[in-house]
Amino acid sequence: MSPGLYIAQQIINGVSLGSLYALVAIGLSLVFGILRMTNFAHGDMMMVGAFAALTIGAAGVPFEWSLLGGIAIGALTGVIVERVAYRPVRGAADVTLLLTSLAVTYILENLGILLFTSSPHDFPIPEWLDSSYEFSDGQITFTQVNVLTVVLTGISLSLLGWFVTRTDMGLGMRAAAEDMQAANLVGLDVNKLIVIAFALASGFAGLAGVLWAAQAGVVEPSMGFTPLLKAFVAAIIGGFGSIAGALLGGYLLGALEVFIVAFLPSELSPYRDALVFSLLIAFLLFRPNGLLRTSREVKL
Amino acid sequence: MTITRRGIVGVAAAAGVASALPGPWIRRASAAETIKIGSPSNLTGSQSSIDQPQVNGTKLKLKEINDAGGVLGRQLELVVYDCKSDPTVTATVASQLINQDKVVAGLGLNDSDYVLAAGPIFQKAGVAFVTPGATSPKLPEQIGDTTFLACFGDNVQAAADAEFVLSKLKAKNIYLLRDNGSEYTVLLAKYFEAALVNGGGKIVLRDDYKSGDRSFTAQITKLKAMSPKPEVLFISAQPDDVGLVVKQMRQAGVTQPIVGGDGYDTPLLVQVGGKGANNVYFSTHAYMAEDSTAPVKKFFGGYKKAYGTVPENAFAALGYDGMGLIADAITRAGSADPAKIRDALAASNGYPGVTGSISFRPGIRVPDKTVTIIGVKSGKLSLAGEIKPSWVATP
Repeated sequence: MSPGLYIAQQIINGVSLGSLYALVAIGLSLVFGILRMTNFAHGDMMMVGAFAALTIGAAGVPFEWSLLGGIAIGALTGVIVERVAYRPVRGAADVTLLLTSLAVTYILENLGILLFTSSPHDFPIPEWLDSSYEFSDGQITFTQVNVLTVVLTGISLSLLGWFVTRTDMGLGMRAAAEDMQAANLVGLDVNKLIVIAFALASGFAGLAGVLWAAQAGVVEPSMGFTPLLKAFVAAIIGGFGSIAGALLGGYLLGALEVFIVAFLPSELSPYRDALVFSLLIAFLLFRPNGLLRTSREVKL
Repeated sequence: MTITRRGIVGVAAAAGVASALPGPWIRRASAAETIKIGSPSNLTGSQSSIDQPQVNGTKLKLKEINDAGGVLGRQLELVVYDCKSDPTVTATVASQLINQDKVVAGLGLNDSDYVLAAGPIFQKAGVAFVTPGATSPKLPEQIGDTTFLACFGDNVQAAADAEFVLSKLKAKNIYLLRDNGSEYTVLLAKYFEAALVNGGGKIVLRDDYKSGDRSFTAQITKLKAMSPKPEVLFISAQPDDVGLVVKQMRQAGVTQPIVGGDGYDTPLLVQVGGKGANNVYFSTHAYMAEDSTAPVKKFFGGYKKAYGTVPENAFAALGYDGMGLIADAITRAGSADPAKIRDALAASNGYPGVTGSISFRPGIRVPDKTVTIIGVKSGKLSLAGEIKPSWVATP
């Protein structure tokens, strides 16, 4: 395989992986941006979306609709969790919110285990999604799922971008993220904006969950943990709280994971994760707020 | 002692807390005269596709023994707790079995990492622990003289895999991909390479992934860029990952035969791997099908009658054999004393199991058993060979 084709294929691999990470990271950043809260339950919203799509699909509904169903139910779950678990403790210490989100994680995961058993479930994908593309005599390949992931990431990001810049609600969300007290003072319904933010974030997570499941071929109640971890890393690299940052961070992380395996000698492959995190630490030493965030002054 | 209101409330509170403590949700009421065998098992989690059938097989044998009158005139009782595929929980369960249930022997867990969690606790109490399906041959030496394997060791199955690759698939240049996150997969890869090199073969490229990864495209691309191409791929993987690895390999256009260990013996291989599971071969403990040997056929029928489904994999038969082996040892020991049971186990000679004959050479607690090689074609499993390897790496 010529070096050019090899690099091209690895770039494709990195972009596919990065899109998935970016989708999950965006939801995390959305919630942090508005509420200054690290939502540990985000990974489980992915799981909810994936299982919802699985159940809807098992009832005979075509994949496109079960995908939308997964997104919708993910969003709905986010709204319910916000109302039931997070709103009562809003304004409390950061630690309280953190622990609450951890509790939600456990509850959701165990609910999944109760309903679906914790064994991995086969996640069937339709024929049209199960194909792969070949170029240059089989040297460049990628799957239809990869294409779908990148396309849907692009579409959902464009929609999100339009929403936060062109609609009143979106602008309100950004206002609340910048300064919640001021937003309240100018008469914005902050409660509603927070609900919308959660719905959006969890909808993103639901989408990511279905795509992750389509890629992996299996779903299980503990599936949200690894993506959550990667999303954290991605969001932090890009600047926690910034949507563009989460996007950038996701692609960077995907690229890093692929390139370490692709371009370093095989003896280093076992240390892939160690290398990724070492780079992360080194990076944070120079830019602690991530790529797209600068330090802010805080008035005491 | 005066009975005060505070005292009553205190006692009631303590009783309430004690009864509300999370207890295992599988627990049989113990009768006075039963012999208790402990069964820590990963009924949920990543190991469940292997442990659940194994427990089913164990319970089937237990019922057969009890229906025939039990052992030494007493009924056997299996105390099963879910370890949730979490080694920390496994250790806690082992302590509970030893200290609270006071079991006289242990049987369960089919992956070396979990046996390493439970084994030392049984060792400290001097209670024998038999693993039906954890294959690391180092386990008895690592843990102690109470640990027994009812299955062959990884060095044996890897050597059989290497012989299969060299003589049946006639391949010398092999690509080695391993999961570097678990003892089993790392050891299997190591023993395979040793046996392959001993037989004149060569590893042309090696690579790693970590269990839990969902994308192997980087490693696969590296493989495809190799020139000349390897003839066979040896992928040392856990049951949760095999389907996906195989599927992604085939989706990327990799057509060479894929060979693996008993981690492939799971319904997930074909379920998740789909068409990708074709041209895959793996070593395991027995060929579970209706057209297998007579003992397997009988077990097959019994399992289907009891559970309404055919045995999912060889681990069901291993669980069955493990239970039989322990019952046989108790009979020979003539008592339910843990130390005597351990000694009787160590002296096991020619126990006729469904998965083959189980004997322990003096001082060795890993049996010499034949390895079954299974091939996958058009989504169906078939017997591809039965190998007793001539050269085996030392553990």
